[in-house]
Amino acid sequence: MKVLTVASGKGGTGKSTLSALLARLASDELRVALADADVEASNLPIALQVDKVACDEFNGGVRAVIDADACTGCALCEPVCRFDAITPKGSAYAVDGASCEGCTRCFHVCPAGAITLRRQHAGEVCTGVSSVGPMAFGQLRPAHDLSGRLVTEVRSRAVALGAQNGAELLIIDGPPGTGCPAIASLTGADLVLAVTEPTRSGAHDLGRLEELVRRFGLPLAVVLNKADLSKSGAREVRELCEAREMPLLAEVPFDPALVTALELLAKGEVPQAHGFGTGGMRIIREIWRQLSATLGLAQQASESR
Amino acid sequence: MARRPAVIAIASGKGGTGKTLVATTIAAEAAASGLHTVLVDCDADAPNDHIFLPRAYETISRVRTPVASVDSPSCTACGECSGLCAYGAVRVLGRSALVFNELCHGCGLCADVCPENAITMQGLEVGSVIEGPTERTPDLRLVSGVLDVGQVKAPDVIRAAVEHGLGIESDLVVLDAPPGVACSVVAAVREADALLLVAEPTPFGLHDLGLAVELGNELRIPMAILANKVTPENEPVPAQLSRFEGVPVVHSLPFSRRTAERYASGDLPVDGGDMGRISMAPVLVWLGSLSAGVSPEAALPR
Repeated sequence: MKVLTVASGKGGTGKSTLSALLARLASDELRVALADADVEASNLPIALQVDKVACDEFNGGVRAVIDADACTGCALCEPVCRFDAITPKGSAYAVDGASCEGCTRCFHVCPAGAITLRRQHAGEVCTGVSSVGPMAFGQLRPAHDLSGRLVTEVRSRAVALGAQNGAELLIIDGPPGTGCPAIASLTGADLVLAVTEPTRSGAHDLGRLEELVRRFGLPLAVVLNKADLSKSGAREVRELCEAREMPLLAEVPFDPALVTALELLAKGEVPQAHGFGTGGMRIIREIWRQLSATLGLAQQASESR
Repeated sequence: MARRPAVIAIASGKGGTGKTLVATTIAAEAAASGLHTVLVDCDADAPNDHIFLPRAYETISRVRTPVASVDSPSCTACGECSGLCAYGAVRVLGRSALVFNELCHGCGLCADVCPENAITMQGLEVGSVIEGPTERTPDLRLVSGVLDVGQVKAPDVIRAAVEHGLGIESDLVVLDAPPGVACSVVAAVREADALLLVAEPTPFGLHDLGLAVELGNELRIPMAILANKVTPENEPVPAQLSRFEGVPVVHSLPFSRRTAERYASGDLPVDGGDMGRISMAPVLVWLGSLSAGVSPEAALPR
């Protein structure tokens, strides 16, 4: 099974839209599995009508809780907290749950036994059946950490789902950024497709993503989305691609037809493949052709016919 | 003693909703009206505020975060440390314990318990805080937290940037948060008096806004919504925004191709011209009403 991760340094460039439309096209030729690795803002399940959803609790770490009645106010815990999560409250001390990272150091220094550790329900990891194939996704509970670990869990479930279903391609819709969750979504990718936009922010963040992907030694290709929004912005992205030797697969115009197609997908009315013959949709089809050739899938598809 | 500035954070669950546009415009408008303003770019994975508000000059300080380090010759591989580490960051391999920097949160528990005192906390460089007055006006200073590419400790860089920004004497601090709802966002907004959520009235945008509202409730910060990229097609949708009980929609900006084009080139709509001037005054009015004690949320314990 080949793994394609759709990534972007900057948020809102069109990763989920492109992932959903590419998955729709790929599903005509191959068995496809999907993963939404943006566990902080999971949108692929909305775009591809996920059904038969089964979720498991995702356990995060622990959080410290101070029993105010048992606390003697000795203040030993406050300075050992690296996360500044412990502050005085009346004659006792209290833990700010959103800042506590669950290291347990305060629990170990408390001489009064006033601190307990509570296991956190940090989110959910789910699987389901979308309109184009099986999908794994997750949702972190707001204000919880460990999103990188949840991404890893989603990715491994998607790999297992893909194997069970004999999928030839796994498409991972990645989170924005270049930090811990983005890194977790790149692991094991055969190709990283970076989606950018013709803004100075878009070029800047693509540069950071390219640096990251190069560190992992992964092949990278770029799609410039909303390309006609700015001539100077588009030029900047093209120049960056040339300077860093990143293949620019395609430039997709700002086309309302793409949004319409996405809305159809979200309503479960799978747009007909021939609908991909005009405007921005024709370019999405061309991107899919190139990706399937790069990943060596075009040949598999014709052999399986 | 200097009084504390008003602190507003700009956030959104979804990426690309317009946080940077809103944050830079609020900061520029506030500074133009005479407020000493500090803008803190907390999107350490993808910092962009400096593109819109270039600095006249800048000072760079490196951010170091503590990580455990084992002195192998002194280590007896007893396993006390690895048994207690909540993150699985220290493991005994062969005849010595070994620390995985990416997993280590730098809490220091392993150093506490090591019977041989073989573990010390060392500073690992993970990013930079860049600060300086903007070219536009010295009344507006820009602080950026920038994560080194390949590092995972964005929250440490963000905390350092926020602390730096709050340390500058000012009237108003604007915090431009990263997308999402996890630890990086918490690090960016936890010091804020008010949280402005920038939302796109699309199905994706509404879903992610719901998560951002949950985050604000969890942190008990007074919130308001700014609806961005409103079009005639999604016009009824701002009404849907009102389903988030008690979170007022304080401002609404239409989708404008012209704004998008100019923004793409690094211009700010506060300057008007053929871009069409966008004012963030309603947001500042809302912020003012909070500090005047009009909102009951302002009295929440911090």
